[in-house]
Amino acid sequence: MNAKLKETILNPIFKGNPITVLVLGICSSLAVTVTLKGALVMALSVIVVTGISSLILSLLRNTIPGRVRIIVQLVVVAMMVILVDQVLKSFEATYAIDKQLSVYIGLIITNCIVMGRIEAFALGNSPWPSFLDGVANGAGYGLILIIVAFFRELLGSGTLFGFDVLGWMGYVPNNLVILPPFALILLGCIVWVQRSIQKDLQEK
Amino acid sequence: MEYLSLFVKSIFVDNMIFAYFLGMCSFLAVSKNVKTAAGLGLAVIFVLLVTLPINYLLNTYVLAPDALVKGVDLSFLSFIVFIAVIAAIVQIVEMVVEKFSPELYSSLGIFLPLIAVNCAILGGSLFMQQKDFLNIGWRGNRVFPGQRYRLVPGYRLPGGYPREDELLQRAGRPQRSGYHLYHRGSHGHGLHDLHGY
Amino acid sequence: MNTNNNVYTVIYTTVIVVVVAALLAFVSQSLKSKQDANEKAETISQMLTAAQYGTKAELDKLGNVAKLDKYAQEIDKAFVINLDGEVVKELEGIEVYSPKALKRQNYNIKGGANATGEPELPVFVFKNGRTVVPIYGAGLWGPIWGYISFASNLKTIEGAYFDHESETAGLGAKIKDDPSFQAEFVGEIADFSSKNVFDIVKGGAPKDAEGKSVVDNKIDAISGATMTSQGLDAAIDTWLGAYAKYFLSGAPAAAEKACCGKHENCEGHQHEGCEKHHEACEGEHEGCQHHNCEEE
Repeated sequence: MNAKLKETILNPIFKGNPITVLVLGICSSLAVTVTLKGALVMALSVIVVTGISSLILSLLRNTIPGRVRIIVQLVVVAMMVILVDQVLKSFEATYAIDKQLSVYIGLIITNCIVMGRIEAFALGNSPWPSFLDGVANGAGYGLILIIVAFFRELLGSGTLFGFDVLGWMGYVPNNLVILPPFALILLGCIVWVQRSIQKDLQEK
Repeated sequence: MEYLSLFVKSIFVDNMIFAYFLGMCSFLAVSKNVKTAAGLGLAVIFVLLVTLPINYLLNTYVLAPDALVKGVDLSFLSFIVFIAVIAAIVQIVEMVVEKFSPELYSSLGIFLPLIAVNCAILGGSLFMQQKDFLNIGWRGNRVFPGQRYRLVPGYRLPGGYPREDELLQRAGRPQRSGYHLYHRGSHGHGLHDLHGY
Repeated sequence: MNTNNNVYTVIYTTVIVVVVAALLAFVSQSLKSKQDANEKAETISQMLTAAQYGTKAELDKLGNVAKLDKYAQEIDKAFVINLDGEVVKELEGIEVYSPKALKRQNYNIKGGANATGEPELPVFVFKNGRTVVPIYGAGLWGPIWGYISFASNLKTIEGAYFDHESETAGLGAKIKDDPSFQAEFVGEIADFSSKNVFDIVKGGAPKDAEGKSVVDNKIDAISGATMTSQGLDAAIDTWLGAYAKYFLSGAPAAAEKACCGKHENCEGHQHEGCEKHHEACEGEHEGCQHHNCEEE
């Protein structure tokens, strides 16, 4: 694998993370991070949607009429989201989680990361790098989601993936952590940590 | 009074950003100065006002189970239809505004494309489809400050508008319910489409 | 190729839309049966939870097939009644009411422009003697529904399970997630003769000296979830109110059986009044009352 491809994959996950650096797609990161399971399913859904819609649109990139570009992109993304939603509803294991995520699966369509990567990358690059770029951006988003969900489920319910972790030692779940504002606070902490490690991200 | 209470509630209590955390991306991006913030705010109100009634009609008369042809359930298409309507309306509005009011276009125009991918707009349509409010005011379709569209398609009474005494009765006296205070006003929605409670 | 000419644009978008729609229609059709099966199994596990066949978590460990089997095994009879408490049809095999179906019936109970006909009120009687009925209503953000099971005297609540579409996690969502809230219902007695069949009280239901809930039709609301509690209260009142005639007319019959069938005292006295009227039995024979017919 050449260096450019490697950069395509690694950059969105760490250095150019779509949530902490570009501050894209944070609506859903606040809403779906109450439990780790929900966050994991959401992360995988976003990875699938960004990856495959980047691939499809990169294949179509020379045929799309400029004037209806945005609508064609939205149609493809919406199609992927519906497919993911339908599949989640069909499996016994994911049915309950799909119900829990409710409208936020649908709102992947307007997740700025998806459209942003298609506009910025997929329409100008060949299919394989576009696919990797989509997957990597989804993964960068998913990583933050899982970090936030880890703390929120641990402190908010005393469990991880539904298994009791803190409850047996008499931990009283913290309600503030369950509520969305805490996700914003946690997100702020993550940005803080990242910026103190990567000094070049700090604004002068 | 109900309209006023809905209006206030939509702006302050059930605020799209504070209560649902939708539209955060653009909220963070454009709230650096008052001028751009006001521009995007106006554009959002405008686009919601136009797209939600259209999506409501599509949802009720085309996509809902049995709505178009008996036995046909098109609700799996709703995401795609809603977003297509929003994108199309945004483009049309952009062209119309550019042609007829260049002044408005220059102040509002740059924000319009941003709105097609604003989750608050799509969220409005999805909540309209998913949630059936009855218990608080006219909550049917309201999602963003000042949205009150349900009034138009919502009134489908067989005998036209209800008489005043009927309205009073509906508003003040819930049937079979222990919650008088809470349900005050809510039973006006017997006349209302989505309100099934 | 000139991708900006009008004809090309129109044809291109048409083709894309048709292809996408066809693909989605195919996928949604082929997955529909699986999705319906999931929904049905979920409904059944909720009813079994209410009927005390295990906790929700235990039942969820069973697969879909096992849930249906368990239901088929344990159901005694299932039928649909009208507002007068008369049986209008039997439910054959494994037929349950999904939340969507309950929504329709909720319109019918409320009446008004959305009603599609007479309310159909399903009743499920399980082999352990418990009668399960559904409820449906509005929470704070969206629909809430659930199942309540009654003992064979058709008065005492023996179990409850509630679900919701989008209540606040950690607050309103407790109606589903908090077993101790659902356990509060157990042992309470619904008052079918009043309009307030059941009350979820903010600020505390009556308690005895030890802080236990008094047996009546009141329980504590969830703190921090006033709107959800109130919505649940209204949903229970509306639905149990609709079932009132069935429960009121069914209650003496069921109690009579319990009284005369199981209590030798009562049967030993050989009072015809006992067989015909429960009240007569309870009023005149201390022995019977002593054995507490109602709890049987």
